[in-house]
Amino acid sequence: MRWNIEYKETWLHQTNPTAKLLLFLPMFVVIVFVHNPNVLINWTIGFTALFMLFSGYRMKHVLLFFVPFLFIFISTSSSMILFGKGETTWFRLGLIHITEESFYRGVHLGFRTLLFAIFGLMFALTTKPVLLFYSLMQQAKLKPKYAYSFLAAIRLLPIMLEEFQTVHQALKVRRAAKAKGFRGKLELMKRYAIPLLSQSIRRAQRIAVAMEAKGFTSERTRTFYYEVTLGKYDVYLFVVMCVIVAVGYYMAGALPYVAIKDVR
Amino acid sequence: MQTKGLKLTDVLTTVVVAIVFGIVYKVWGPLYYAVKPLGLHLDQLIYGMWFIAATVAYLLIRKPGVALLAEVAAASGEFLVGSEWGLEVLFYGFVQGLLAELVFAAFRYKRFDVAVVSLAAVGSTIASLVLDFYKGYIDQLAWWNLTLFIGARFVGAIIIAGVFAYSLVKALEATGVTQLLRPTTKEDYDSLDK
Repeated sequence: MRWNIEYKETWLHQTNPTAKLLLFLPMFVVIVFVHNPNVLINWTIGFTALFMLFSGYRMKHVLLFFVPFLFIFISTSSSMILFGKGETTWFRLGLIHITEESFYRGVHLGFRTLLFAIFGLMFALTTKPVLLFYSLMQQAKLKPKYAYSFLAAIRLLPIMLEEFQTVHQALKVRRAAKAKGFRGKLELMKRYAIPLLSQSIRRAQRIAVAMEAKGFTSERTRTFYYEVTLGKYDVYLFVVMCVIVAVGYYMAGALPYVAIKDVR
Repeated sequence: MQTKGLKLTDVLTTVVVAIVFGIVYKVWGPLYYAVKPLGLHLDQLIYGMWFIAATVAYLLIRKPGVALLAEVAAASGEFLVGSEWGLEVLFYGFVQGLLAELVFAAFRYKRFDVAVVSLAAVGSTIASLVLDFYKGYIDQLAWWNLTLFIGARFVGAIIIAGVFAYSLVKALEATGVTQLLRPTTKEDYDSLDK
């Protein structure tokens, strides 16, 4: 999903969405099995650089996108730093027990989450949802009924937001837009959810009937309005990612930032 | 007549409902780390919201495969609007949906009560914990902290994705909209014979 923020079309935008997804997703598995914080720090630097240089967005916007990551970093690392197991005590106060091991493990977790976040943001900001689903149909053989359902649902989002505003204003006028306590909050969520969901379901039914009538479900030999292909930019992305991964891995051994090699 | 597999109507309704929850999932992120008072895991009580798409969609449409599709679609929705967690939500969504789906399959898609839905919520919780075990080294937390973490997540999941999801669908049934969705049952045919 893109907001109305201006950006330049860079080669990252030209890559094939399915190829990009298939390059990014395995990184999750790779990162989960890396236990050396030096490697993760290097990769974070590398992929952040890739994102900043080639996402095509202005630097001030990029920096704004990074603000939530700071919270994520702190929130994922804090429990491990404060309450993790470890031998070499640095600080102890009541239940809080900071050790050298738990500190580095916490920081490692922070970088891990940061990397996932960067991949996610890089994908979301350089991919048009429409082309993603067309590409999934053409390259990944996703059944059209799924792809077109997603596309229709994405198109419905603005209507849903508008409806949310209407419901919100109606509740506000009746002084029913606030509630106290956990139960009250759940009750309040229902007050919003019921009209939104029931309207969405009715709309989905009508649209589905229309789409079935227009043959959106037919699967054999169909043509596509957008032809999405693989290209040289996918190769570029593959090469760049390999270089970042390899160099980051090598440098972690040659020039480590911290002495710890395994945080487990 | 129930046809084999999901029809476009089922898929579209599931995806639309799921994308609504996808937005909720996205908004839930900032809330989640805002209520995190430095490691005491109160945040885990609200984690269950991330399982709700599967149970609500299953209760609404009552067909095989809907729970998994809903959870994956909600996660994709969250991902596409730019989740702070980025890529990992796709994995979490898939695994959480899969375990919820397995719970429903274990009851042969024949039970739609609060107990089964709560059990599906427990399934999703286990799925998320397994991923956290690999991703977050949660086994390396002090034992009291880990117990609190896991306990709070189970309790929150049952309350939100189990009981709350059930009451949400009950309220939706009162609007009459669910009659559009569900396959005709034997009772419906029986009532015609009377």
